Amino acid sequence: MPTGTAAAEDTPQIDEFNPFQAMAERFAVAADHLGLEGGVRDVLRTPDREMTVAIPVIMDDGSTRVFRGYRVQHNFSRGPCKGGIRFAPDVNIDEVRALAAWMTWKCSVVDVPFGGGKGGVICDPRELSETELERITRRYTTGIMDILGPDRDVPAPDINTNERTMAWIMDTYSMHVRSTTTAIVTGKPLALGGSKGRTEATGRGVMISCREAMQKIGMRPEDARVVVQGSGNVGGIGAMLMHREGMRIVSLSDMYCSVYNDRGLDVPAVLAHLREHRTLETYKEADIVPNAEQLQLDCDVLVPAAVENQITSRNAADIKAKLIVEGANGPTTVIADKILEERGVVVVPDILANAGGVTVSYFEWVQDRAGFFWTEEIVNSRLELIMTNAFQAVDETAKKYDVSLRIGAYILAVDRVAKVYKLRGIYS
Amino acid sequence: MSPLPITDMSFDDLLPSTPPLDEETPFATMMGLFDEAAEKLLIEATAYSILRKPDREITVAVPVKLDDGTLAVFDGYRVQHNMGLGPFIGALRLDPNLRVDELRALAGWMTWKCAVMNVPFGGAAGGIRINRNRRSRGELERAVRRYTASLIDVVGPDRDIFSPGRAADEEVMGWVMDTISSHERHTTTAVVTGKPTVLGGSSHHHDSVAQGLRVILKLAVEHYDLLGDAESLSVIVQGAGSVGGNLARLLRTEGHRVVGLADVHGGFYNADGLDIDALLDFKEETGSLEDAPGDFERLTNEELLTRRCDVLIPCAVPNVITIRNASGVNARLVVEGAHGPVTARADRILESRGIPVVPDILANGGGVVVHYFEWVQNRMGYSWLEAVVSNRLRRFMTEAWDAVVEMKVDRKVRLRTAANMLAVTRVAAADKMRGVFA
Repeated sequence: MPTGTAAAEDTPQIDEFNPFQAMAERFAVAADHLGLEGGVRDVLRTPDREMTVAIPVIMDDGSTRVFRGYRVQHNFSRGPCKGGIRFAPDVNIDEVRALAAWMTWKCSVVDVPFGGGKGGVICDPRELSETELERITRRYTTGIMDILGPDRDVPAPDINTNERTMAWIMDTYSMHVRSTTTAIVTGKPLALGGSKGRTEATGRGVMISCREAMQKIGMRPEDARVVVQGSGNVGGIGAMLMHREGMRIVSLSDMYCSVYNDRGLDVPAVLAHLREHRTLETYKEADIVPNAEQLQLDCDVLVPAAVENQITSRNAADIKAKLIVEGANGPTTVIADKILEERGVVVVPDILANAGGVTVSYFEWVQDRAGFFWTEEIVNSRLELIMTNAFQAVDETAKKYDVSLRIGAYILAVDRVAKVYKLRGIYS
Repeated sequence: MSPLPITDMSFDDLLPSTPPLDEETPFATMMGLFDEAAEKLLIEATAYSILRKPDREITVAVPVKLDDGTLAVFDGYRVQHNMGLGPFIGALRLDPNLRVDELRALAGWMTWKCAVMNVPFGGAAGGIRINRNRRSRGELERAVRRYTASLIDVVGPDRDIFSPGRAADEEVMGWVMDTISSHERHTTTAVVTGKPTVLGGSSHHHDSVAQGLRVILKLAVEHYDLLGDAESLSVIVQGAGSVGGNLARLLRTEGHRVVGLADVHGGFYNADGLDIDALLDFKEETGSLEDAPGDFERLTNEELLTRRCDVLIPCAVPNVITIRNASGVNARLVVEGAHGPVTARADRILESRGIPVVPDILANGGGVVVHYFEWVQNRMGYSWLEAVVSNRLRRFMTEAWDAVVEMKVDRKVRLRTAANMLAVTRVAAADKMRGVFA
């Protein structure tokens, strides 16, 4: 039991569909394995700092509205905080806290020198003009400026924010500190200090994790039939890269339906069709399958790369795949995890499989600090190195503690943060 | 204590007039070229309007106690044109004829050049109105240090970086670096480029323009298929200094025939190729090419420019190819090593005669690329090997060339227009992305 007074209460019962509780539960399991005593455990569960700011904005019609924004810095033992900023009507401090913690573990798994952070503004971007969004972004940035900085906290894009938003943040910060500061934020346009290879980084990381996992379980790429849920930045690009590695992609999906062909899809053609028609429903070269049935298709590898809570207590028993690679955040619930583990299905967890994104964000920060930019080949080869090292470290940890890859990843991540925490000691 | 006597104002390096930003200035003329590019690109007037005025101009008085105990007050300027792509970078000039409107043009020019070369800087230019030849070293040093100290709030590795300019050599850059470091209380090498190597200067900074020209020349020769079945080219290089001299040596090493070479005193021509090493060694010993011995025809600079060759590379001063001699140019390609060697009207004549011109903004961009490399190395505190610098320089020159050629083919324009359009595209995109800070 936690003993510190600052620790949040453990929520007594697990809601299967709350991915943040799922994260907390997995942290608890890892901490138990590591035998973390109460004090350190409390520190690692408690955000280092949280900031709430009011964001007054003059709207296009002349009225004033005040929005609310948050920035949570979960843990900066390992380095400055790193994490996205989202603009959404349902942003709330609990979610932001959980996502910040998630980032701490993810950065730790791939061993990039960051802690976890997350921010958000409660607003509905669909109702806001571009200029209103710009004013919100700039005022929010100004509000949290005292805790931001290339060596303090480095935001990135998230839901409803993009490279344009990042350019505004970079500009606002640079103007305030009176010098060009590209390393303040990642996910910027190439012209303003962005990194090559960033758009496809998460997909590439998923491909690398998948390839490593197949090698681990002795599956040959050319024998693998892969089902990919999703077809965007992660699923689409991941599928394309896996296709190039010689794997057979038998199914891809969008929001409306899935396409399926047991002999393997022509992935470039499917994605070209999607770009042109914005839906897969009209794709003729494959069978159309309802999304509800896609995950249960006969295949060797399943890559859920869309949204959370897709593999649950309801369908986990029907999954045919022997390997699951989590491209999305939190696609598998805790209960489903147990079912899959009993059935011997190997799951490469999200905090490892989709960490290619934060890795290339780290590269962007490094390039900005140097002021020198890498070629795409260098970005990709360094990503490859980090992902394969992380996979190996997770695999070894899982073997050592005789646990699943997921718990192995959490043990590795928590252990790294806890060790640094102990080395640094408590500043007082 | 009695006040210092003020010297009389008859110096030629005091009190310039500061012309207003009107339409008759070098800045407006320079911008005219890019206005044309913006129109061709259909960039909205509002998105482009911010580029039509420099972001910031600073004027400082530079009081200096002269060696005779009197006080002189010089004028110093810094013009910062556009910070869309990153911190400003630009020359520091020591020039008795310094004019603000020229600095504005120079600053704007740097913005475009950095954009074409894809280095993350905006353009700036500045200087002190002082005659280096009439001042003692001590007076000069005090002027440079005072000027630097007065500008300290607006310069810095992430704000504005000084590079060498007219009469400001690496010794001057060393003073600037020391002044800023002393004020900041820590070593700050990345605030100035073109420093001596021991103070963080990059390898190749002496021959960076020549190295870049060599790469561009090679690409241009391939692009226009000038070599055909021949094994080497005949080249005329005007200029025998850090640009022309180094380039002539490099081209000779690569097996080309440098048939013509000139310095300020005049030129030499030999259709079979000149002995470049002998000529440049002679120049190094005597300080000039005048009276150099050898097997060649002696002629004037003017005559040399119209001699027959495959490639003509003016690397000396502006406005050498004009309406008077453009129709006599007897080359298949002109590469602008100097700043603005071909006048606008001569440019049209060459175009109508089917002689392509590789514009200065692209061809001599190797200089700013190596300044950028110096800044990168200083930020990291780690110096690159000479081979690393030259490899990376080749990469930057090649990427810039490819991007300009792509624009040329896409938009069916000539190289100069394509380079200007590429510059405007990149700067306007960065400014648009950043939005307007308010």
